[in-house]
Amino acid sequence: MTGIDPRVAMFHSETQVSVELQTEDMTLNLGPQHPSTHGVLRLIAKVDGERVEEIEPVIGYMHRGYEKLAEVRTYPQITALVNRIDWVSGFANEIAFVTAAERLMGLEVPERAQYVRLILTEMTRISSHLLFLSSYPLELGAATPLMFALRDRERIMDLIEGVTGGRFHPNFNRLGGVKPAAGGGSTQKKVVQDLPAGFLEDTRVAMAGVYKVCDEIDGLITGNEIFAERTKGIGVIPADKAMEYGVSGPNLRGSGVGFDLRKVEDYLPYDLFDWQVPIGIDGDCFDRYVVRMEEIRQSASIIEQAIDSIPSGPLRAKAPRIIKIPQGEIYVRAENPKGEMGYHIVSEGGREPYRLKIRSASYSNLSILPWLLEGVLLPDIIAILGSLDFVLGDVDR
Amino acid sequence: MTESPSEAPARPDPAAVAEHFASLVEATGHSAAHATAKIIVPRERWVEIHEVLQEHLPFFSYLSAIDWSCEVAVGDPPGGDEVSERYEVMTRISDVDEGKALIVSTEIPKDDATIPTLIGVYGGADWHERETAEMFGIDFEGHPNLVKLYLPDGFQGHPLQKSFPLLSRDLKPWPGDVDVEDMPSTGNVEGGGA
Repeated sequence: MTGIDPRVAMFHSETQVSVELQTEDMTLNLGPQHPSTHGVLRLIAKVDGERVEEIEPVIGYMHRGYEKLAEVRTYPQITALVNRIDWVSGFANEIAFVTAAERLMGLEVPERAQYVRLILTEMTRISSHLLFLSSYPLELGAATPLMFALRDRERIMDLIEGVTGGRFHPNFNRLGGVKPAAGGGSTQKKVVQDLPAGFLEDTRVAMAGVYKVCDEIDGLITGNEIFAERTKGIGVIPADKAMEYGVSGPNLRGSGVGFDLRKVEDYLPYDLFDWQVPIGIDGDCFDRYVVRMEEIRQSASIIEQAIDSIPSGPLRAKAPRIIKIPQGEIYVRAENPKGEMGYHIVSEGGREPYRLKIRSASYSNLSILPWLLEGVLLPDIIAILGSLDFVLGDVDR
Repeated sequence: MTESPSEAPARPDPAAVAEHFASLVEATGHSAAHATAKIIVPRERWVEIHEVLQEHLPFFSYLSAIDWSCEVAVGDPPGGDEVSERYEVMTRISDVDEGKALIVSTEIPKDDATIPTLIGVYGGADWHERETAEMFGIDFEGHPNLVKLYLPDGFQGHPLQKSFPLLSRDLKPWPGDVDVEDMPSTGNVEGGGA
């Protein structure tokens, strides 16, 4: 080795040292208190560096025991309780339940009430998806859509509050229709009790704002290179896995399955209107985001058509004061903004159901996490969780 | 992104769906009351029947149970004839093309409350079986990880069994027992124009 500079020799010898570090997997706890887990979800992740080897979601921090509570509550009381399952879309939770109870009783809902239910359900869908549009880019670092989307969501919340009295827990459905709105002079007899004056016109005007905010956020986010890097190809759910786990709603449609319960089931008159079901192609986070964005536009179009063609008539069918449902069993499912939400009522002829099984959308959507999050990087977990758009009240019931 | 046409597909008839699948798997009973197709199968063929049905109905909706019991600690006992004490385990599966849906139900006795797991057929059964196991005390044979899902560790008892009381009801009478009075003009509800 004569003739070689000793410093070069030193470098040369150092590079011969093999850098086999002893590594161990680390167990990382994305605890129940975490800004991006959408509530009290706990993820226990075994990570190798930044890559997840195994993940276990721990849920149940918000378990309120709905199914046991429902066994001691009468049907109108359960209607008030059920708002709180998926608290972001309060009105939509009630729809499947009242439809199930009405079908067991054989009660027909008047047409105007069906239209009002449809309009309010679609407004709730827009509100839920606007919340998704405001929080999902924020988790990935874009702070502007938060302001835009929430501004228009507030307009819709004001409208819902104006007619139902509540923003998040409207409690507006009654067995047989909707609540005749509290208008002036509701304690007098023979007063026309209908929707508040101007509700339908104001809703129509608000829809123009909804289209505009969708276009604004489209311009900011959809073509953005950073957003595309963080969502394209991430969190791909193949269609057959999605069906095996019961993933539903925009998550299923993002994977290419064109299944929308509003087209398949007849709990509300959706087939009277001209609208389409957006379907994704690849099943990644980006597709789920685009599907929800497009669903907002379709819902706004449905609302405009419904307002143009709403019939007149009573808002509620006559129902007995003490509601006892005859013996029977029924399962009715509806398209909640998060997915398929259904109620399985087993009635034994009493004032309360004998068994109420609530099929909540986010529970099944979340059950795919141990399979989905295997081998992903830690930052991608945030992107995937946000794109599944779940609410812990829905998961934990 | 593609969009589907806006015609509503023809809705499948629940009675026809129940009959078709009942004969396909040789079920012991079927019904379609209230547009809810349901077939009843024996426990011994539980997994095998689901394997057959999975090709036609790949979407797994839920799995749960009903506790049929005459002595109840909460609510009212079942009306009508005397019901036999048993658990009824049911799954609901559907397809995603036409919307055909089916409830598959079986009965298991309370003193031998076990049933094979469906995890090999539908992966989604994992969490549903864990919840049913902790709520009813049913054991799912072959489930790799039957730990509690909702309830805290160390919780004793199975809440959704009919014999499990709601302590708050036992401690004090509930003011919500009385239905709220309706608004006086409920009988005359007429809507105006749009």
